[in-house]
Amino acid sequence: MAQTVTSGTSPEGLPPSYTYKVVLLGSMSVGKSSLAYRYVRNDFRELLPTVGCSFFTQILQLDEATVKFEIWDTAGQEKYQSVCHLYYRDAQAALLVYDIANKQTLSRAKLWLEEMEKRFLPDEIVIALVGNKTDLAAEREVTTEEGEEFARTKGLLFMETSAKSNHQVNDVFMAIVQELLKREKEKASKPFLHGRSTVELRASGARMRCC
Amino acid sequence: FCRVDPYGFERPEDFDYASYEAFFSRYLVVLTRRAIKWSKLLKGNNSIQKSLKVKRYIRKGIPNEHRALVWMIVSGAQTNMEQNPGYYHRLLEGEKNAKLLEAIKTDMNRTFPDNVKFRKTADPCLQHALYNVLVAYGHHNKAVGYCQGMNFIAGYLILITKNEEESFWLLDALIGRILPDYYSPAMLGLKTDQEVLGELVKMKVPAVAELMERHGVMWTLVVSRWFICLFIDILPVETVLRIWDCLFYEGSKIIFRVALTLIKQNQAFILEATNFPDICEKFKQITKGTFVTECHSFMQKIFTDPGSLSMATINKLRETCREKLLSQG
Repeated sequence: MAQTVTSGTSPEGLPPSYTYKVVLLGSMSVGKSSLAYRYVRNDFRELLPTVGCSFFTQILQLDEATVKFEIWDTAGQEKYQSVCHLYYRDAQAALLVYDIANKQTLSRAKLWLEEMEKRFLPDEIVIALVGNKTDLAAEREVTTEEGEEFARTKGLLFMETSAKSNHQVNDVFMAIVQELLKREKEKASKPFLHGRSTVELRASGARMRCC
Repeated sequence: FCRVDPYGFERPEDFDYASYEAFFSRYLVVLTRRAIKWSKLLKGNNSIQKSLKVKRYIRKGIPNEHRALVWMIVSGAQTNMEQNPGYYHRLLEGEKNAKLLEAIKTDMNRTFPDNVKFRKTADPCLQHALYNVLVAYGHHNKAVGYCQGMNFIAGYLILITKNEEESFWLLDALIGRILPDYYSPAMLGLKTDQEVLGELVKMKVPAVAELMERHGVMWTLVVSRWFICLFIDILPVETVLRIWDCLFYEGSKIIFRVALTLIKQNQAFILEATNFPDICEKFKQITKGTFVTECHSFMQKIFTDPGSLSMATINKLRETCREKLLSQG
């Protein structure tokens, strides 16, 4: 799916388009599917546990580029880890999600990070640590500082979100886009170091879809 | 037709009542005819011997009033239950694994929130039965414990049997005998069967296999839920139950028949896809609509459309796919 193309602008002078694969990883019931659902459909509802993997797409029309996100939402149960590596193969970005009201889920996110570090070089993937469920402030077990500090030491993007009350969900995906585009620019200035994102030489209309 | 179906599921807002009514009035005739045939077959004695006649009857659908009993008998669950009296209750009274309980609890409110019988406010609330069945099973089959997906299967079993202990033994029949290891920690059986389906599609619907390969779509992405949830929440409830009738009697190859029928029947539609997301969307679409709602004709199709599918072929494919997976690590 992901192929290496180095061109930055399309023949028509339109901004370039990029396709990025983003995976959502984290413990059971931390809100991975809800984040995807909020981001793609801007809605919140009771979702069934994700079994295996589900897939969403979202297209962003930015001034500098058209970005197509392929969002892979994975099962959170540890059991599924043996099939999950199939899902995050070739990902360009990952959201490591934990529940701020459940400390264990942060430890689990740290384990996920170790797993990612084994499979990806730091410049191959953008990773964001996401503390979800800020609507449960009264039950908070992980301070903002703790999440932030861990992300800082590991060089991860960091944000606290609430899929339920629509807090910073868009922002976290935007932060990822900005980082990915920044890396594209750096890559373009070093033409011999090819990245793995796909550049599609056509402009596509705004679409939202989920499957 | 009511907003809630006979099993307690709320119908979606866009539910097409008109075409469902058209289908159901026709299906009602079938149901009545089958009910008469089945009462004659069972006539007083609640035992069934495996035979071609019974197999044919089961393919044509088990009436709901006999479904629990027939599943229990043909799957061997009844025998196991009778040979192990009190075992289920002892499991519930025994020492518990806290981690397992927590995992099961996490999914309680997330199992069928659209079913009125699983709501906290329902009386009786089936969440309790579901919790017990999963806890008992997790302690009975420690290698499997609890795996997401089992909650849906146990939930359906409880809706049909209305009995915890029977649901437990049916779950054991499915996970312990009928299905290869879909739910064990390595999920090797699941990974294998996804690959086996890929091979069968290559043989029977090569254009679709080629499309998948061209766009790098892994089978696991589009079909993992078909296998893990045995079509729950994928196909309409009535259709799922008809599939399970055959699953309990004929075994796991029924899953391939259903999958191949869905793919073959919608071949032209799937081939319209021009990219990766399109393909995923098509695979979601093919599990909806009148073709799958009309469960009686759908069940006839699964035995004709995919052509011959011998257990020998499946076993051979399972063997080669498993070896390939193991060698990949």
